[in-house]
Amino acid sequence: MNLPFWQSVATIVWKDLRLERNTGRTVSVMLFFSLAAVITFNLALQGDLAAVRNVGSGLLWVTIVLAGTLGLNRSIGSEQENQALDGLLIAPIHRAAIYVGKVISVTIFTAVLEVLLLFLFFIFTNRPFLQPAVLGVLLLGTVGYVGAGVLVTAMTVQTRARDVLLPVLLLPLTLPVVLAAASATAVLVSRPDAAWSEIGFAVSLVVFYDVLILVSGFFTFQFVVEQ
Amino acid sequence: MISLSKLTKTYGLVPVLRGVNLQVQEGEFVTLVGPNGAGKSTLMRILASLIKPSAGEISIGGWSLPEQAGRVRRHLGYISHQSLLYGELSALDNLLFFARLYQLDSPEKRAETALRAVGLYGRRHDFVRTFSRGMTQRLTIARGTIHEPDILLLDEPYTGLDQSAIETLDQMLVNLHSEGRTILLITHDLLHGWRLANRVVVLHKGRLVGEIRQENVAEEDFLNFYREQIGA
Repeated sequence: MNLPFWQSVATIVWKDLRLERNTGRTVSVMLFFSLAAVITFNLALQGDLAAVRNVGSGLLWVTIVLAGTLGLNRSIGSEQENQALDGLLIAPIHRAAIYVGKVISVTIFTAVLEVLLLFLFFIFTNRPFLQPAVLGVLLLGTVGYVGAGVLVTAMTVQTRARDVLLPVLLLPLTLPVVLAAASATAVLVSRPDAAWSEIGFAVSLVVFYDVLILVSGFFTFQFVVEQ
Repeated sequence: MISLSKLTKTYGLVPVLRGVNLQVQEGEFVTLVGPNGAGKSTLMRILASLIKPSAGEISIGGWSLPEQAGRVRRHLGYISHQSLLYGELSALDNLLFFARLYQLDSPEKRAETALRAVGLYGRRHDFVRTFSRGMTQRLTIARGTIHEPDILLLDEPYTGLDQSAIETLDQMLVNLHSEGRTILLITHDLLHGWRLANRVVVLHKGRLVGEIRQENVAEEDFLNFYREQIGA
């Protein structure tokens, strides 16, 4: 990966951030969905604060996963308008740069959402969600989830049933990273001073999944977008 | 400049291109015509390295496709009836994006020069979604030529344009050709394609069935030739 590769990645991220600045349509959809989900969870478990606290980490990850699916569909879907994806594909860039650029863009959008969600979950559960370690685990889990998501979305975006296919394919594929990240999040939220030995296995699993999916995406993306 | 030998493309069991042979010389303007379903757009998308051929050999500017697609893409400009632009970005941002993707020197200057060339500099900060079809197509040409490609592939660029926009596009294509660019145009407008080109090639049911040079041939004779080739 030489300098032009990273310049191409930076150009794609710049374009996605510009589009988002102009429309706000990816982050806003994710935010509204997440807000609705958090309020619904809170109302559903209203009578039982202990239950909210116990399942808080799980609910946080459910919200991230579902909102992330919306974000992926929006972000990759924007490349379908005016067949803009063809514009990327005919440019003299490594096609993996498109994959890496999209992963970075959607991860940034999801990270913005996660910061807000941590505030909301802190308020609703009165649990220590606002910790750098929790945010770190969320970001690590998000990289794996988005890495798989960009690949699957690129496969499904040209199909008629893309809205159905994306979650059906993506959720089972990302189950290992989501479970591991949710488990590490739960430990950190229940015991902020948890030792590495308590979360080490889960975090290692998340990192392993991230590396595996990013390497797979890097080498297979060009075959996914070529006909 | 462009050389196709026994080019074949099948989708499943359905053959779309059946052993197409075509040579386009440097600086030549060739129009490719044929009825719907002849395989014109598939051929163009293969040349643009958007899809892979099933069999056959392709050489563009001395490089082979799809093996050396990266080198080929640097010398190709692709303009279709779809703009490949982002409606929610300004005209300037769209061209800046493509100038950076092609790693051009001084992308800001290149984008502004391209906008002036197509008469859209005054609207450079406006979103592309606010443009008329004609303006969008002019910006599409700026997008497709910002890297000054040697070869232009034009896939139905006249679709949806009014008469004034057609005349503007014609003038742009004449200028681009006079600068020495090799141009391959697909159009359903037979006479339009005929007037602009040095040579017209007829594609029918995935095969090149005939070609005719423009010099000293009347329009009526060309139309009769075309009808004969497609068996109409």
